[in-house]
Amino acid sequence: MENKNQDPKIIAFVCNWCTYTGADLAGTSRLKYQPNVRMIKLPCTGRIDPVFIIKAFEKGADGVLVSGCHPGDCHYNAGNFHARRRWIMFHKLLDYLGIDENRLHFSWVSASEGKKFVDVVNAFTNKVKAQGPFKKYEKINKEFVING
Amino acid sequence: MEEKIISKENLLKLCSDLLKNNVDVITPGEKGYVKIKSENEVGLNSKAKHTKASFKEYIFPKSEPIIYYKKNQNEVEIIEPKVEEKTTVIFGAKPCDIRSINILSKIFNWDYKDEFFNVRAKNTVLIGLMCEYADEFCFCTSVNLSPTSTNGSDIFLLPLDENSFAVRIVTEKGTNFLKAYENYLTPGNPEKSKEVEAGVKQPEKVFDAEKVKEWITGNFENEYWNTIGKMCLGCAQCAFVCPVCHCFDIVDEDYNYYEGRRMKNWDGCQFDMFTKHASGHNPRNDQSKRYRQRISHKFKYYPDKFNEILCTGCGRCSRGCPVSVDIKGIVSEIYSKC
Amino acid sequence: MDDVKKIAKELLTSGKVDAVIGYIRYGNDKRTKPFIAQKPEEVENFVINKYILNNLAVYLTRKEVTKLGKIGIIAKGCDVKSIVALIQESQIKREDVYIIGVNCSGVAQDYDIEFSAETIAGKCLSCEVRTPKLFDITIGTIEDIPQGEDKKLKVIRQVEAMKPEERWDFFEEEFDKCIKCYACRQACPLCYCEQCIVDKSIPRWIESSATKRGNFSWNLIRAFHLSGRCIGCNECERVCPMDIPLSLLNRKMAMITKDDFNYVSGMDVNTPTLIGSFDLKDNEDFIE
Repeated sequence: MENKNQDPKIIAFVCNWCTYTGADLAGTSRLKYQPNVRMIKLPCTGRIDPVFIIKAFEKGADGVLVSGCHPGDCHYNAGNFHARRRWIMFHKLLDYLGIDENRLHFSWVSASEGKKFVDVVNAFTNKVKAQGPFKKYEKINKEFVING
Repeated sequence: MEEKIISKENLLKLCSDLLKNNVDVITPGEKGYVKIKSENEVGLNSKAKHTKASFKEYIFPKSEPIIYYKKNQNEVEIIEPKVEEKTTVIFGAKPCDIRSINILSKIFNWDYKDEFFNVRAKNTVLIGLMCEYADEFCFCTSVNLSPTSTNGSDIFLLPLDENSFAVRIVTEKGTNFLKAYENYLTPGNPEKSKEVEAGVKQPEKVFDAEKVKEWITGNFENEYWNTIGKMCLGCAQCAFVCPVCHCFDIVDEDYNYYEGRRMKNWDGCQFDMFTKHASGHNPRNDQSKRYRQRISHKFKYYPDKFNEILCTGCGRCSRGCPVSVDIKGIVSEIYSKC
Repeated sequence: MDDVKKIAKELLTSGKVDAVIGYIRYGNDKRTKPFIAQKPEEVENFVINKYILNNLAVYLTRKEVTKLGKIGIIAKGCDVKSIVALIQESQIKREDVYIIGVNCSGVAQDYDIEFSAETIAGKCLSCEVRTPKLFDITIGTIEDIPQGEDKKLKVIRQVEAMKPEERWDFFEEEFDKCIKCYACRQACPLCYCEQCIVDKSIPRWIESSATKRGNFSWNLIRAFHLSGRCIGCNECERVCPMDIPLSLLNRKMAMITKDDFNYVSGMDVNTPTLIGSFDLKDNEDFIE
């Protein structure tokens, strides 16, 4: 039990046109999902600078969820294709540097996939819970307060 | 100056005693100045090449918190961190490194007394070691120093032979430090140590700092600065490895919405951000102007203000420069224009 | 060696270029340094040897140099890759630079060491551009290079085999040495941003402090911003005063882009950049 994190903090960077609307649909459909996700809406997955993800981890996120329109559905035609290419490299780089792959999740959720959004959030939340708190960042963050 | 002799064996014993007493012992090694765990790691090779960085970091850290803050209901609580009063011994540093302490002390005690620096300096015992290394970048003799200069050292060692060192006790701090280890010392032989001193190869004196200062005063707009400016890439390697560069930047970093800290970080005058104003205007908007500042600060402004050259001639900046911008060459060239 | 002087002199005399960036001998015979010649008589000290370590392409985007006019540049095969990458990324125009390519048989790791199989720069061992990919004229002849062990590749494999926590600890320790002098950035021909993300303060994305967190984020983002762009000249690692093995990151990223996209940076001026383009069939196994 001591290794489990019952209340992980998860930051979700989602695109305005698909995933955010999908999450909205989950809400209006009264679907329930675990409350650990804090959503940040951006115009497009192409706008999700990897530095946002780093910042989220720095600020105490235990997991980061990134989600947007399915390929071909981008409101701006190609934003998610560019994003996908970046993620391929970025998630491998993070893994190489020792940030466990299970702490970062990518998904495509369209505006009509309220159910999928719920499933993605629940599955990812469970995965992050199993990982436990992000001790490595907790350790270096303690330097920021006296006697930390 | 009192002089004693210590055998190498006793010197290592002394070092081992220090480590047992939980004193931080810093010594130059292959990986730079490092805190050692065993007396066998102590750097006592007078022929060793300079480490890439000086020991500055142990007295003036690359980044340190100067304030912690906490926002409460309607007020901000400020917590000032105290520097730990812990004895540190810098063991076997070169004269050109140790010289830095007195130069830095002037700026850190000028209008504002920098407690962080002062507490650390007070608790640091500096044991110098004569230097028998000289390459094409060394120019300590041009900035009024020598491989046997004791300026800055509390205690200074000269290797007499393979197994013994002459111990010159330079300051009161040095005397007090050695009191506990008196039985390791034997009476000195100043004649022999003078002989050793005289035999040390001195780097050639390549410029006269006074003349250089004069030239800088009258040549603010000289074309020569442009020839350096176009080569320099604008990193701060030179400033950060320098024993006496002391510029810092102050930034606030938050832990969360309510708590955070204020950091004092090393800064370098070759960065274009160094002088950039909030308005966007940058008085030193060109690498030439920035390099002129570097040379002028070292050889004119600091001497004018504190009567010390802001350079110890260690040559680190040039040895490590990505594009071999060579301060010795530059100042020599300036001297040749005088 | 006389070739290089002759060519540079000719270029400057005829006015084909306004300045030639090259290497001059400096200090002892195992050191060179970059030099920008603007007059024909200034090329007298130009030299080509095993110690021409700098990637001079870094100067092509510096405003102190671009204002000199049209530039001639001496470039090894690897350096030419960075010129190609700069052209790919529209930072310079092909016609604005005259490339004196060097047929290269390897350079030393560092100055002041004898050139041998032990001390050859790691990048030279797997070099595929000993004859530059792009040039106006080439000099020198290719000889066999001594084959040494690729030590850095071995370390990369070791790191890959570690557990994630061990990898974190490994890199945390390496990055902790960082003093934020940004020599890596300044010596990089592809780090030409007018304002680096680490210098942005509104908002402050990456802390400028040389603390564990600031150092980790800086080195991570530096590696990412060079992913698919780094051409492997390894100048960053060479100039690092704290000896941080930056090539472990850059090479790993180059290996990833080669595996995933079959893309090698700086090979062809007409190929779109990796990060500026996309393929409908890009791998998305990891996306749910």
